[in-house]
Amino acid sequence: MTWTRRKFGGFAGATLVAALGARAARSQTKARVVVIGGGIGGATVAKYLATSSAKPDVTLVEPKQRYTTCFFSNLYLAGVRSLESLTHDYQTLAGRYGINVIHDTAAAIDPVAKIVALAGGTKLPYDRAVVAPGIAFKYGAIEGYDEAATQVIPHAWNAGPQSDLLRRQLDSMEDGGVFIIVAPPDPFRCPPGPYERASLVAYYFKQFKPRAKILILDAKDTFFEQDLFEDGWNRHYPGMIEWLPGQFTGGIKSVDVKTRAIRTAGETFNASVANIIPAQIAGELAQRAGLADQSGWCPVDPMTFESKLQPGIHVIGDATSAGDMPKSAFVANSQAKACAFAIAAALKGSEQIALHLFNTCFTLLAPNDAVSDAIVFKPQAGSIKITDIFFSQLGESAEARRQAAQQADGWYAAFTHDVFG
Amino acid sequence: MMPSTIRVTEKYQSDANASGVRQFIAASIAVGLTILSANRGMAADSDRGAELAATCAACHRLDGRDRGIPSIVGMDTEKLTGAMAAFKSGARSSAIMHALALSFSDAEIATLAEYLAAQPKESKRQ
Repeated sequence: MTWTRRKFGGFAGATLVAALGARAARSQTKARVVVIGGGIGGATVAKYLATSSAKPDVTLVEPKQRYTTCFFSNLYLAGVRSLESLTHDYQTLAGRYGINVIHDTAAAIDPVAKIVALAGGTKLPYDRAVVAPGIAFKYGAIEGYDEAATQVIPHAWNAGPQSDLLRRQLDSMEDGGVFIIVAPPDPFRCPPGPYERASLVAYYFKQFKPRAKILILDAKDTFFEQDLFEDGWNRHYPGMIEWLPGQFTGGIKSVDVKTRAIRTAGETFNASVANIIPAQIAGELAQRAGLADQSGWCPVDPMTFESKLQPGIHVIGDATSAGDMPKSAFVANSQAKACAFAIAAALKGSEQIALHLFNTCFTLLAPNDAVSDAIVFKPQAGSIKITDIFFSQLGESAEARRQAAQQADGWYAAFTHDVFG
Repeated sequence: MMPSTIRVTEKYQSDANASGVRQFIAASIAVGLTILSANRGMAADSDRGAELAATCAACHRLDGRDRGIPSIVGMDTEKLTGAMAAFKSGARSSAIMHALALSFSDAEIATLAEYLAAQPKESKRQ
């Protein structure tokens, strides 16, 4: 057989067209995952999806250029760490992992057309969406405490300018003043957080305002690791911290922002500096996108973290109602990994692996006195249950607690590297 | 493994003993499939290892640059399985590692140990 140039050219052309066609088909079938929210859950799921063998196109939508972690922000209030040391950007996620980071706000999700619409007008089609909106505050639950009031009485339950405002107020408070923390009802972000805050502000007061008092007005009758906290308060700050449970306060009813008078069912308390941590629900987007139920939180499948209300959309982190799992950064990170592996398995059509879901928490009673806890969770009967739980013990040596504080410091570096690095 | 299959095919074209060749081809394909599935098995183990190690990465840096927390990348497999056994039994004391060790099966710990042992530390890469 002899080839003419024309025939040869025609054959080569056909091969080229076939090759291009195959490439176009491949790029069309490359799955697109849009992650909304660049906190701990969102950043983790974006990174682990981008490095998964499913290799989807990953877009991360987050309005802020930089993220300041809530965890360890009580050390900023104590004057031990700077806010800068708790602040992370998205450059490594974009540069090293090829994640398309868009600094904009998600305005709406169309779960039928599978499109995320951004406030800036961009439309992002997706095969899977992951929503990690964090928390929103139930303003109005305490009369007089609305969003405007946070500029006078900070909640400081998102780190950043709110932490800074509270720090400046504590700094300018007179010695002998009363710092009141209003602790929220369950469920809320970071169960030990309000009590660690009391501990670390007491650490600051002990050095600079030794006659100051801290009063915690609680909506609850007990709190997380209560025996460890009360032991720590007695050892480090005797007489400085007083906790009033819900059965004593009868609930926190209203606040006069101007005078910082906080009225409970029984008494009214006057604060020199106040910190009101309001009741919480899932972040605003979760409410708008129909991902939250009547409880205000987002029910999810315990294996995949896919929304039980909107198929194709996964929800992770503080916004979820995930059985026994508390709202913590560690849990958000753990859920994000399980969610990323579940999405990767679904995209590849492979079998989903058994999950390991954990929570670990380091809590500082003082900068050199840390306790920790570890909780193991397993999906069970459509929910997620605690299977094991371990706590630091009362009466541990000062050396053991000092080592735990060093581990906490190492944990922060490793954990934020896992999320953002 | 592909070149040997091609060679067998070439041989088949010039060989009169077709049934013997067919058996050889069948055997070759079987071997090839075994190798292929073994490779898939290794890839799956590596994926599984990475997924298990993702749990560790929440506290231990997988580039080995830990401070205050022991580094685990590039660790000898026996040392890692021994440490996990000690944490599981309580011989080594740590609430966090005790919880983790209890939650991982022996098979998972073995997969994890192989994966971590094979990971280079960043200092070695430079």
